[in-house]
Amino acid sequence: MEESKVSLLEIDALTVEYRTDDAIVHAVNDLDLRLDKGETRGLVGETGAGKTTLALSVLRLLPERVGHIAGGSIRYEGRELLQMPEAEMLALRGKRISMIFQDPMTSLNPTHTVGDQILEVLNLHFPEMTKQQKEAKVDEMMTLVGIPPSRKTDFPHQFSGGMKQRIVIAMALVAEPELLLADEPTTALDVTIQAQILELIRNLKNQFHTAVLLITHDLGVVAEFCDTVSVVYAGRVVEYGTVEAVFEKKNNHPYTAGLFGCIPDLKDDQPRLHPIAGRMSDPRVVHEGCCFCDRCDHAMERCKTVAPAMHVHKGHGIACHLFENREDF
Amino acid sequence: MFKRKKKSLSEYSMGELVMFRFRKNKLAMFGVFLLAAVFLAVLLAPVLSSYDNVVQMHVKDRFTSPNGSYIFGTDEFGRDLFARVLYGGRISLLASFAIIGIALVMGALIGGAAGYFGGRVDSVLMRVVDMLMAVPSTLLAMAIITALGNGVWKLVVALAVSQIARFSRIVRSAVLTLRNVEFIEAAQCYGCSSLRIIVKHILPNGIGPIIVSATLNLGQTILSISSMGYLGLGVASPTPEWGTIISENKANIQAYPYLGLIPGICIALTVMAVNFIGDGLRDAFDPRTKN
Amino acid sequence: MSAPMVETINLKKYFKTGSGMLHAVEDVNLKIEKGKTLGVVGESGCGKSTLGRTILRLQPATDGQVLYEGEDVLKYKKKDMKKLHLNMQMVFQDPFSSLDPRMSIHNLIAEPIEVCDIFKTKKEINEHVVRIMEMCGLPANLANLYPHELDGGFRQRVGLARAMAVSPKFIVCDEPVSALDVSIQAQILNLLMDLQDERQLSYMFITHDLCVVKHISNEIMVMYMGQTVEYAKTAELFAHPLHPYTQALLEAVPTPDLSRRNRERNTLKGEVSNPINPAPGCRFKPRCRFADKECDGECPLKEVSPGHLVACCKCG
Repeated sequence: MEESKVSLLEIDALTVEYRTDDAIVHAVNDLDLRLDKGETRGLVGETGAGKTTLALSVLRLLPERVGHIAGGSIRYEGRELLQMPEAEMLALRGKRISMIFQDPMTSLNPTHTVGDQILEVLNLHFPEMTKQQKEAKVDEMMTLVGIPPSRKTDFPHQFSGGMKQRIVIAMALVAEPELLLADEPTTALDVTIQAQILELIRNLKNQFHTAVLLITHDLGVVAEFCDTVSVVYAGRVVEYGTVEAVFEKKNNHPYTAGLFGCIPDLKDDQPRLHPIAGRMSDPRVVHEGCCFCDRCDHAMERCKTVAPAMHVHKGHGIACHLFENREDF
Repeated sequence: MFKRKKKSLSEYSMGELVMFRFRKNKLAMFGVFLLAAVFLAVLLAPVLSSYDNVVQMHVKDRFTSPNGSYIFGTDEFGRDLFARVLYGGRISLLASFAIIGIALVMGALIGGAAGYFGGRVDSVLMRVVDMLMAVPSTLLAMAIITALGNGVWKLVVALAVSQIARFSRIVRSAVLTLRNVEFIEAAQCYGCSSLRIIVKHILPNGIGPIIVSATLNLGQTILSISSMGYLGLGVASPTPEWGTIISENKANIQAYPYLGLIPGICIALTVMAVNFIGDGLRDAFDPRTKN
Repeated sequence: MSAPMVETINLKKYFKTGSGMLHAVEDVNLKIEKGKTLGVVGESGCGKSTLGRTILRLQPATDGQVLYEGEDVLKYKKKDMKKLHLNMQMVFQDPFSSLDPRMSIHNLIAEPIEVCDIFKTKKEINEHVVRIMEMCGLPANLANLYPHELDGGFRQRVGLARAMAVSPKFIVCDEPVSALDVSIQAQILNLLMDLQDERQLSYMFITHDLCVVKHISNEIMVMYMGQTVEYAKTAELFAHPLHPYTQALLEAVPTPDLSRRNRERNTLKGEVSNPINPAPGCRFKPRCRFADKECDGECPLKEVSPGHLVACCKCG
């Protein structure tokens, strides 16, 4: 199984805390995640589930002084990132691992032309390239993301939201990284533009054989775009597996099942939605048992005290006591 | 979170809640106490000392350091500094508060109208303000006072006018950032009048920077009153006023530091008290501040 | 048949911009019956929010009529405006910026009641606030808190409670669930539908989310660059989307449904431009794969089957 080979990205028992004056916020708790070369994994969860924190931890870009990695390991091609000297980390960021942020409006510098901003990545990571080579690469990249290279002397405000996100993608992929962390890349965009951007990421990823960790709150995006999925709740992975296994909707973690129940269906009519009771658990509280048990319809006495282990069957993992000793999911 | 006895919190009006939060702010309450003490002393001046002492020269007692009979000592003409500071404070405090008050109200009206109504109202008002701003404020005040004639109240008007432009700008930008926020639209949705929207929604939300600049300007204003006096406008010697006291003793401060220190401390204490109160008010208007 | 609850006739809203007239809302005709919901769908900049605000007179209309139970609210004088405020309310998109951060939850909900003079005494107002809060699923102990102390779901309930405080009959919901997490979104949608059933409310539900709009609406109007491109009963629209734009929207929406996973995708090319001084003819033409010369001419809304209107010269 997976243990036999080294994955591109391996996260084990990662625990991240934000320490503020009043409290410790447990953003990520004991989280495991694997990502193979070329794989597209969806990381789904609601606001405050710790998705963005996870991505920032991988790049070691957590807010200084406040964010602390309290335990666990993040290995990239078998090398521990958490112990890596900052100089090596700098060489990795943007070249081997890149990130796309949610808001294309704020992730570009308004005072530089878009061409210069793409060029900057090359200047940083490929000092050996000649000026002509770099310019040619910028043109090629812009063509790839569907923006005529003639517009590279334009400034970000001259582009629409979707176009800006295309430029952000060009910046992220110009160094042909092996891993792309995409944090809600289409949330700020309209549906038809979202479809364009997702298609663009899909094509480029196939071309460059990039692995993608797609962070999103939208199960629909995962279903259409990803190979595998990890569902996070309160900083933990509660379910993972191939998209086929998870979206079959037969055997799911109660939280995943709850999420499915919240989304109105485009095909069938349902008179009422079935929201998940209660609200997101307070990230300042440490759970002894299952983090979801307050909101779960199937909660048992045991759920309050014993944290469920990840029960895995054919690569489909569910962290719930209901799936203990079951071989049929 | 809030815990209250008897009356439930929801029965309090917004103003009461602001006062409630203000009273819990220790530093602000200290400021209130300090300012009250200064005002009380100044108001009680006739009880503490007679006005005759302000101008009476005790030539033999020139430059007496603070002692039993002259609590704050005497100046180069042998005038009682204690009496001069007390009676001088009346003018300093009254004039500076009046100046800030007038400038603030006018600035709020002009800036508020410009920011809220926008369009042509904004353009016209702001061009007027620009014209005021184009002239250095001291020069403007001098021009106004020369036109109006000398006198304390004319000085107040002159200095107030010279500050209106600054307050209008601050208020306008505070209003502009709030103008298009959805809760203003929501208020229009249930029929809030423009006045109610400005008073109940925009002002409480935009008051922070306005209060801060008002309190910061107060000290500056006390000093500008004295620099006007130095130029022979407004308050002229021998009528005392804190800034004037310092400037008339300029030559002797090195030898007799108390002559500058005592009125200086008075100004500093007043400004500090007002700053504490200002910060307290700013925080009291914002329920997000921890308490 | 009696007059519908809300109706617009050739409603227009233009904005003057530096580069010309922006036709934000162009000749919109809609009808909302009592107790029904009209979903208004479109992408950002299609004029759907402007339409809602123009109906409520938050922005002055350029031309046309807005009828509330047959009365033109655009003709209301200042003293009549109270009628409008009592009958027509709005719920906003952003639960963060739509609540005054300096007011407690109680005061937020009480303010419309005070402004509209519904109750005279403080006691009556307080009792009414308690009733409204309960109706909107807000625990009474939240009354003393401030918006920043609540999460998005509760804030949006407060926004709804504030709109409900004057017992309106018609509510414009401007993307009320877009900023919320799915689990909270479902709670708010259920609440909206329960309130509608209880009080025979009419909604105009503005959204870009097709799944949501299908769930809550009886009829749907699809807008593109200020114009209505398709208008039909919900089931009819989803079963037979006729306008190429509606089809593209339906195709683009990602659903958590494996059967759609490997469908052939006809991703819509290009982006929406601004309807500034628009040329006559179909505004969707530059992005449409069926477009040809014929589309340069007028393409008015046509009724292709009973109650199903489309503005496309290639359909029907």
